[in-house]
Amino acid sequence: MPRSLLAPEARMPALPALALAVLLHVAVIAAALWLPRLFDRAKPPRKPIIAHLVALGRPRDPRLLPRKESPPPSAAQPLTAPTTKPGPAPKKPEPSRRELMERALASAAGHATPESREPPDPERAGSASGSPEGTAASAEEGDAYFTAVHDAVLEHYVVPSVISERERLFLSASVIAWIGADGRILKHEFQAKSGNTFFDQALERAIEQTKLPAPPPDLARALRDSGVVLNFRP
Amino acid sequence: MTCSLALALLLAAVDRPVIDLSGGRVQPLPMAIARPLGAADVGAVAETVLSQDFDRSGLFRLLDRAAFLAPASEGLTGFDYANWQAVGAQALVKMSCEAGAASAEVKCDMRLYDVSRAQELLHGSYTAPRQGLRLVAHRFGDDVVRYFTREPGVFQTRIAWVRESEAGKQIVTSDWDGFAIQPLTGASINLLPSWAPDGKSIAFSAFREGTGAHLFVVDVESQRVRALVLSGDFATGASWSPDGSRLLFSSSVNDNSDLYVAQADGSAARRVTDARGIDISGSWSPDGKRIAFVSERAGTPQVYTMAADGSDVRRLTFQGNYNQEPAWSPKGDLIAFSGRDEHRVFDLYTVAVDTGKVTRLTQNQGTNEKPAWAPNGRYLLFSSTRTGKRQIWMTQPDGSNHRQVTSEKGGASDPSWGPLPK
Repeated sequence: MPRSLLAPEARMPALPALALAVLLHVAVIAAALWLPRLFDRAKPPRKPIIAHLVALGRPRDPRLLPRKESPPPSAAQPLTAPTTKPGPAPKKPEPSRRELMERALASAAGHATPESREPPDPERAGSASGSPEGTAASAEEGDAYFTAVHDAVLEHYVVPSVISERERLFLSASVIAWIGADGRILKHEFQAKSGNTFFDQALERAIEQTKLPAPPPDLARALRDSGVVLNFRP
Repeated sequence: MTCSLALALLLAAVDRPVIDLSGGRVQPLPMAIARPLGAADVGAVAETVLSQDFDRSGLFRLLDRAAFLAPASEGLTGFDYANWQAVGAQALVKMSCEAGAASAEVKCDMRLYDVSRAQELLHGSYTAPRQGLRLVAHRFGDDVVRYFTREPGVFQTRIAWVRESEAGKQIVTSDWDGFAIQPLTGASINLLPSWAPDGKSIAFSAFREGTGAHLFVVDVESQRVRALVLSGDFATGASWSPDGSRLLFSSSVNDNSDLYVAQADGSAARRVTDARGIDISGSWSPDGKRIAFVSERAGTPQVYTMAADGSDVRRLTFQGNYNQEPAWSPKGDLIAFSGRDEHRVFDLYTVAVDTGKVTRLTQNQGTNEKPAWAPNGRYLLFSSTRTGKRQIWMTQPDGSNHRQVTSEKGGASDPSWGPLPK
């Protein structure tokens, strides 16, 4: 017998429909939380690479006992414009520590060795507030600000010598710092403590003593509301 | 659905920028020692000893008393931490000392405060005979070090060394800072003292009874000397194993110098090296399983290690052509030694046991020899001619914080650091 067109259509029962809806919501939330992490997964922790730059001097016979590490040479003389006609090309001087550091940094960043800076380029691209060790010609304002935060905190980052050398190697802690529009650190909170009271106290002191410049307008709100994570390593 | 998405986006938006910081400067902890309360003479001694201990330790930076803001009458408790915070103190030591009724006894109340957190960290009350006042200060100092470093301090330890004079060379002991010298032997020719792990006796080499150098032991308490090893043409460089059950020394038989391991009393000696040339200067690893020593088997004196039974010999130093006097650190990772550089001057070095990396500790400061580790591994004693006559000096294992320990008119040498007090 043909079904009457006026007869009501069969409907899905209410309970399965509700369950399906809940499942769909859960799936969407999970996808929203998980997918970004899948593509933006934190890189596995890498051992820090500490560059021990070769000091200016003569190569030492490896069969001899080592010398004590000597302090770096005094700062290079300020550059002055040549006043006399240049003679024959002088012998290329040995690279200074700073130059070696620049090369190492450039190399680590995948840039070409900045050999073109010998003699220094008077029109080197950069920023008036940049670092002599900087390798980039320009920077996003945000990066520049975070560099300033890094340098300002590092200035006060002191590890008490009462912590043994062996323990120092493994100490790390994370602190969230909320930064006000005027650069004041509004509050800070440990995201992860080191487990060593003196180290954690030293970090708190470092943060309390740090004076930061005002953040750029496009970062001000995020830094005030969400803060920035400071990962302290030995 | 819309609500879920909004929530997810909100959660995702909490991602914060991350800044990695490394390379913090390692600096001594700023510490203030407040003016002692109570008997001024007693307090002054305790304060001086404590200040010197903390200063020499390299762990603390003592703040200048002239900068203190707190009133001199400030009590041991109930004071205003702000005055100490303002001068940059992070740790504060306060003490009150009194002389007892008979004046033969002193009593000190000593406290350590955390200035940042405004709280008391340590509180000790010590009573001692007046001549024990220095020890009271050392003891509280060790308590403070242990609190901060979680390692034992060395302020209460004793050291042994050779006092040199025209009359000869005498074994003496002193506090770690060179005070309270106690002679243990006469001034004949006595060399190379080496503490027993229990701190009750010291082995040494001596020329006695008209023969070559042999091993003797002196009881620290009674100063009674007895022979330990008299065999061979000579026997020298005694070193007890960390558990005190065995004695390591070098001895020469038929002009061939080798290392021997014997029972603690010197009996049942067994040769553990069997190479051509000299094998001398044995030093135990902290677990007693290996021995560092000097051997000429490769043509020049170099530092080697081997198992305690003489097997598994490994060469450790390859730089320099005259490396000697190895001393294995209590932490096990480093072996200190003295080496002669191209200027024919001996200096101190350490070599990492795992990697063989050699680090120089002294340079351009006279002749530096005979390294001896502190029992906590934080310091090394050595002898140095930097001020003229050979004297005992101290350094940290990275070559920093050199401090003079002895100022003997005739000189001092051959240091050996005693064990931690029980």
